[in-house]
Amino acid sequence: MVLSLNDAALSLDGAAGRVDILHGITLDIAERQTVGLVGPSGSGKSSLLMLMGGLERATGGTVEALGRDLTALDEDALARFRRDHMGVVFQSFHLIPTMTALENVATPLELAGKRDAFDRAAEELDAVGLGHRKGHYPAQMSGGEQQRVALARAAAPRPDILLADEPTGNLDQSTGEQIMDLLFGLRDRHGATLVLVTHSMDLANRCDRTIRLVDGRLESEAVREAAE
Amino acid sequence: MTPAATIALRELRGGLSGFRIFLLCLALGVAAIAAVGSVRVSISEGLSREGRTILGGDAEVEYDYRTATPEERAYFESIATRVSEVVDFRSMAVVGDERALTQVKAVDDAYPLVGAVRTDPPLPLDEALDGDRVVIHPVLAARLGLEVGDEMRLGDKPFTVAALLESEPDFGAGGFGLGPRTLVRAEALDGTGLLSEGSLFESLYRMELPATTDLDAAEAALAAAFPDSGMRWRDRRNAAPQVERFVDRVGSFLVLVGLAGLAVGGIGVSAAVRTYLARKTPVIATLKTVGATGSTIFAAYLIQIAVLAAVGIALGLALGVVIPLIAGPIIQARLPIPVALGIHPLPLMEAALYGALTALIFTLWPLARTRDLRAASLFREATGTGRALPRPADLAVIAGLVVLLVGLAAWLSGIPDLALWAAGGIVVALLVLVGAAWGVRALARRLATSRFARGKPALRLALGAVGGPGGDATSVVLSLGLGLTVLAAVGQIDANMRAAIDRDLPERAPAYFFVDIQTDQLDRFLTTLREDPQVERVDTAPMMRGVLARINGVDAREVAGDHWVVRGDRGITYADQPPEGTQVVAGEWWPEDYAGPPQVSFAEEEALEIGIELGDEVTVNILGRDIDATVTSFRNVDFSTGGLGFVMTLNPAAVAGAPHTHIATLYAEEEAEARLLRAVAGDAPNITAIRVRDAIDLVTEALGALAAATSWGAGATLLTGFVVLIGAAAAGERARVFEAAVLKTVGAARGTILASFALRSALLGAAAGIVAIAAGATAGWGIMTFVMEAPYRFEWVSALVIVVGGALATVLAGLLFAWRPLAARPARVLRSAD
Repeated sequence: MVLSLNDAALSLDGAAGRVDILHGITLDIAERQTVGLVGPSGSGKSSLLMLMGGLERATGGTVEALGRDLTALDEDALARFRRDHMGVVFQSFHLIPTMTALENVATPLELAGKRDAFDRAAEELDAVGLGHRKGHYPAQMSGGEQQRVALARAAAPRPDILLADEPTGNLDQSTGEQIMDLLFGLRDRHGATLVLVTHSMDLANRCDRTIRLVDGRLESEAVREAAE
Repeated sequence: MTPAATIALRELRGGLSGFRIFLLCLALGVAAIAAVGSVRVSISEGLSREGRTILGGDAEVEYDYRTATPEERAYFESIATRVSEVVDFRSMAVVGDERALTQVKAVDDAYPLVGAVRTDPPLPLDEALDGDRVVIHPVLAARLGLEVGDEMRLGDKPFTVAALLESEPDFGAGGFGLGPRTLVRAEALDGTGLLSEGSLFESLYRMELPATTDLDAAEAALAAAFPDSGMRWRDRRNAAPQVERFVDRVGSFLVLVGLAGLAVGGIGVSAAVRTYLARKTPVIATLKTVGATGSTIFAAYLIQIAVLAAVGIALGLALGVVIPLIAGPIIQARLPIPVALGIHPLPLMEAALYGALTALIFTLWPLARTRDLRAASLFREATGTGRALPRPADLAVIAGLVVLLVGLAAWLSGIPDLALWAAGGIVVALLVLVGAAWGVRALARRLATSRFARGKPALRLALGAVGGPGGDATSVVLSLGLGLTVLAAVGQIDANMRAAIDRDLPERAPAYFFVDIQTDQLDRFLTTLREDPQVERVDTAPMMRGVLARINGVDAREVAGDHWVVRGDRGITYADQPPEGTQVVAGEWWPEDYAGPPQVSFAEEEALEIGIELGDEVTVNILGRDIDATVTSFRNVDFSTGGLGFVMTLNPAAVAGAPHTHIATLYAEEEAEARLLRAVAGDAPNITAIRVRDAIDLVTEALGALAAATSWGAGATLLTGFVVLIGAAAAGERARVFEAAVLKTVGAARGTILASFALRSALLGAAAGIVAIAAGATAGWGIMTFVMEAPYRFEWVSALVIVVGGALATVLAGLLFAWRPLAARPARVLRSAD
């Protein structure tokens, strides 16, 4: 299994006290699978995605990725694991504002010590149709363009796992569709496992599996035939 | 209430939490100026309050090289209830072969009219000075290995040390004392061979006046009764003018340094206002959407800033009052003068005015920009890409306020030239720093995208942060750079001055000055020295003291103002022929044996400065006698060598018969100095030898104190700079938390992120430091070359310390705010931003 969660739980301490976000999540995701996480707002889908990416630490159970127990890794080991195996795309793009598009895409490659980081970053930007925007800063680009840069950044290191948290949430429908085409195209090209958080059932239906969460628990799962 | 005021009050309900840096910057700048001003006024008030004691009476009349005539003495007795005569001169105290310079104060029975002399062991002065007994300063005792009851000689006569001097009340009288004090009864000097005709001494007549005496009228009456007597009047209102002037100058200078601090604070203030306005962008945009005009918004935020500035200034004033009170005992202990510590309104008002003007100047720019921006642009401004200049009218107001501030500083400091130079320096330094910040950002941008930075993610991240949009590069380079510039300038000037005095001067200066050589002793004195193989050179010249009283019949002070040549008496010599090495640069030297109307040869540079031309008539008063002489030549005189140099040289016949002594300079190998001194002294105990090295040490010490005071001022500036740095780091913390979260997401370990943060801070700090060195070195070169007229040499050590210090300071400030970004969980940061 590429991703394997066993009785994973997440509780957070906030100003109003302890809040339980996820309860007893047990879930396996196979190699090259595409999985859509759906559910109402506050159901814990993004938190679950964060657990899978090691961006949030489970407070109960285990989270394994590519056979490694993420709950046992420290912050730096988690960062290195993501560097080598994961790409993450967010709803708000989260590009570094002080870097150009090219630099944003090249950063994970540089962190991985790739000598051809900038050449590969340029290729990746070409692939998302932004070859002419390499020297632009995020503030100089539209939302759709920023999300394409974010996609290129996530895909550039050829990750085993692609995690996308409502990647079209901040975009209009047409731009959103273009982004999803790009995302699935990248995933197909690199053969990565894709986990996608979305509110759109249309998008979810493009995935091999659709998992529905309610109140931090797995409520149902639909598996498309082709995936079986 | 106007809509603007209403909006302002509602906005202020949010509290002052976002304005800590604003308040601190303003408060520190105002506090430094208020504290310096308060201490200055405290000293001045202390001096005037204790004026009677410091002077040693209500009024004092001083003569050079003579005592009062019986008529003058009778006049003093007629207006005063009591009179005391003091004679002050330099001499050598001798014990066996050991000799030490001492400043002798010969007093009468009435001394001191006010206050008391304290001795160790405690003795009444009458008893301590009874017969041939003296009271000496502990330093003199230490130099000669003397203890109470031991014997020492003054001139030809032995004296017994009765006690050591702990304090004398009338210290204001002694100006520049090279030697430690010896107190002796005037009658006891009979038989010493000292104070013969032509000797250099001052006589002081202290008077206790009836309470009803009008001091101005008394001074005028005395001047009218004894015109051209060469007397100098002082009274209790200005008991220690030299000290007061020194304190005034140092104080003014420190206020100027304080203004630099305020300028640094202004940068912090400006940055804080920009951050605040950026945060308020949605509010401003919303207000505009619902119909608020640009002027209303401008006024609303100006009111808020004014309220905050008032709070900051009040804090600064409170600090400025408290600091001198807390440091009072330390200040008092380090100064030999009384300090009237307390709350002095005038310096506080001055500091408040400077603070208010600075706050206005530095906040108007960002405030004015909001007025012209449309609601839509304001939303876009949040991304940090807008760069609009304020309206020309606003720029004119800012320029006007700058002129007002500089004008005030020039007027209130009392040293307008220096104030204007300092203000110009600050403005130029700021402009250079703005340019440097721009250059650093452009360079960082280039480097970040260059091949050089590829594959070095920490470095490229740092370069990207420095050069990319929305960074804090400008405010960091400006604030730290200006603080470091002041420190660098002080460092360069101080090091160069020390080098000039410590290293260069002794190479050219003589080892000893000899004064009070009687004409009949001269041949023997010269023979003794010139026969010695270790003597390189002995120069000698006749010397009398005189005052340049009039120039072409007009009072010299009216013509020359405050030029040092007309300030008090000067050494004057005569010569038949131009002395060896003299260069006559204009006019003609008088013929040999010239006996016509008096002629004078004037030092060229000083003549130029005063405005004296060949053919002018100058009146020189020597020992009460006026000599009118025509300026017939100009000479090149280099006073910087410490050798014999006279502003005025007369033809011999002009001063024939005037009592005088000779002065000599001795250039000799150092190890021979003590032996030569003994050889000369054995022949003539009345000759006083002044070791040049001692005089240099005294100057170095004074310079050290000045440099220390200035360094403290520069330190305050730097502290403000550091606060601005902290402010910039704090303001950038949110951005760095976000950046760290993204970097962790794409695989950066904390070490890489920390290295990147540290690198960007170090880059900015080093850039600020390098610019500061350039600006400081330029200031140092300018002051050394044009003001001190001494060679300038770049001082590496001070420069290196400043660059490294600048880098360390920014790294420290950056690291203080690195913890949260490094500790934050990426998921929480990034999701809260969604």
